[in-house]
Amino acid sequence: MTALKVENLTKTYPTFTLDNVSFTLSRGRIMGLIGKNGAGKSTTLKSILNLVSPDGGRIELLGMPFPEREEDCKQKTGVVLGGIDFFQHKRLETITAVTRRFYRDWDQSACDRYMKEFDLDPHKRVRELSAGIRVKYLIALALSHGAELFLFDEPTSGLDPVSRNELLELFQALVKDGKRSILFSTHITSDLEKCAGDITYIKDGKILASAEKAAFMQSFQHLRTPEDAAPLTLEDIMVRTERRTFHVGVTL
Amino acid sequence: MSELLYKELRLAAHPSLYVFMCMGALLLIPAYPYSVVFFFGCLGLFQSFMFDRETRDVFYTALLPCPKRDIVKGKLLLAVFSQLVQLTLSLPFAFLRTLYLPEGNPAGMEPNIAWYGFGLMVYGIFDLVYFTQFYKTAYKAGVSFLIALIPVTLGIIAIESSVHFPGLGWLDAMDGPALIRQIPILLAGAAVYAAANVLAYRIGARRLERVDL
Repeated sequence: MTALKVENLTKTYPTFTLDNVSFTLSRGRIMGLIGKNGAGKSTTLKSILNLVSPDGGRIELLGMPFPEREEDCKQKTGVVLGGIDFFQHKRLETITAVTRRFYRDWDQSACDRYMKEFDLDPHKRVRELSAGIRVKYLIALALSHGAELFLFDEPTSGLDPVSRNELLELFQALVKDGKRSILFSTHITSDLEKCAGDITYIKDGKILASAEKAAFMQSFQHLRTPEDAAPLTLEDIMVRTERRTFHVGVTL
Repeated sequence: MSELLYKELRLAAHPSLYVFMCMGALLLIPAYPYSVVFFFGCLGLFQSFMFDRETRDVFYTALLPCPKRDIVKGKLLLAVFSQLVQLTLSLPFAFLRTLYLPEGNPAGMEPNIAWYGFGLMVYGIFDLVYFTQFYKTAYKAGVSFLIALIPVTLGIIAIESSVHFPGLGWLDAMDGPALIRQIPILLAGAAVYAAANVLAYRIGARRLERVDL
């Protein structure tokens, strides 16, 4: 069953175009959306959520058309936007008290349980939390309203290796029962090697490939050179695909 | 709708907005251009919008399970709430001054029925201009405020100076017959306020739909 279906998503800016982006995320899967900075990862996620109004395309969240059924879709979706921390001066308990009023299936006992499990102190203010704990708080909120689809925009960027590892393990635990799915954008390839089942690669606003991880890796092995003893890693694939030559003759 | 207002009051409103809601106490100053109270109401709202930009409130609201246009609805509910609460809280002070300051206000208009009617008109015009300007971008709080301040300032000057024109003395009066004569102004104010806010929501929401957050 499909958790997220994106078809021909298009958004044109004066200097950048998100060009017919299409991919599908199945239930119970973790999909990594990779691409270098400015490739269109955040625009894709924001367009999926109607934060950015797309010029064209079709989006289906958990089988429901979006934005036609925006409210129903959002009831079952948890989102973490990278670098955006709201209400830094507010206590977690205040944000929770407000947030819960918007969700039909809010489970307060589950919320209390997740807060405890993630070592979240409801009396603390957002600004007192580390970046990793903030992501965990948003995950706890999403779990409390029964989210089945999680959209994360660079959730691990800026985290230390220990917090990053912890978060990636949490991602894997979230999808374990096959009911929840995760789409997360990142440019940290090791994150994907650790926990993504599927990979979608976006370059200059276009999808280069979207497939199950092994098939994805295989499809890029033509970039191997005789000097490569081992199969290419995700980082090799990304670096070689993005490599460009400057007019002064320097190749990067 | 109630949860949107609850969210605005608990998370989004800047503390100064609550202070500005109490500015009706200025009606106890013996001589003062009382319509400045309306300016403070607008200022409090502007402060709150600046605060929201800092707290990234728009992203929080946009991710809640409600349509994107509810971002505008929530802010407009906060505006209407703060303005009506401010005017309501000023009523006891307007009454008190009739007991303790019966000689009237030499600086401008008396806070009478007409004054409240004009106040609603000023707030209606502010909401219409501010919200339609702000939601062109959803971040230009300062420029939108300056633009909205032009009609607000002109309105306040017109209100305060009107009572000095011959033949308009009844606008400044506090006696029974004059107050009855002022009732249509209050009704007109309420109508302008309601219509301006409905329009502010429709135009603001339409503009926000096109904004990329």
